[in-house]
Amino acid sequence: MEFARLIQALSDGTVEFAVVGDIAVVHGSRHAEMMLDVCYSRSNANLGRLVSALAPFHPGPRGFPADLPFVWDEATLRHATVLTLRTDLGDIDLLAEVAGVGAWEEVKAHARQVDAFERHVPILELAALIRSKRAAGRPKDLAAIPELESLLEALED
Amino acid sequence: LTPEQFERAAERLRNPAPGSRIEAAKRYGVDLTLLIEQLRLTPAERARKLERAAKVMAKYRGVARRKRS
Repeated sequence: MEFARLIQALSDGTVEFAVVGDIAVVHGSRHAEMMLDVCYSRSNANLGRLVSALAPFHPGPRGFPADLPFVWDEATLRHATVLTLRTDLGDIDLLAEVAGVGAWEEVKAHARQVDAFERHVPILELAALIRSKRAAGRPKDLAAIPELESLLEALED
Repeated sequence: LTPEQFERAAERLRNPAPGSRIEAAKRYGVDLTLLIEQLRLTPAERARKLERAAKVMAKYRGVARRKRS
């Protein structure tokens, strides 16, 4: 998994996106999954930028045979609110909205710029990340909440 | 984090206030000393640590895959 190269590709491609998932390690958590979860603007221009940014890394649907026909273009993005993809750099989930937070505009409002991966990366703030984990409700999400909540409390002004 | 912010967060994690979420997390089994070590790093350093962990995991996955085949 090459988080940095994927994030740099999105950032350098001027994609409007925010990292929303288990990359909470950047906030100080020890919980991390080896995939990148990203929420993105659904504007037509941004869909084009997202397609161009990831195309060099050959995205395809994760969990399906590699030879399954798949077209990586703006129409594919437009017709899916969740895309779980594998790329040459690792796995990435593309989300039109985040449970417990909302669609792109809400996610954008709750993201903060963090200097990491040699870029200014928009990352979902801790309080919103906790809401998303609670809303997702999977055992692994719920298990991460006590640690995230203690970080939030420790960092409060 | 500024040094002051770090010290305040570390102190809260070292000595959780009764009834706090930090105390609840400690009872749940969260190792708060590891969180302090994480907070000592900058976000960029945490990101690099994640990258290194991902590379090690990928290496071991590759070894396991080759052994199975």
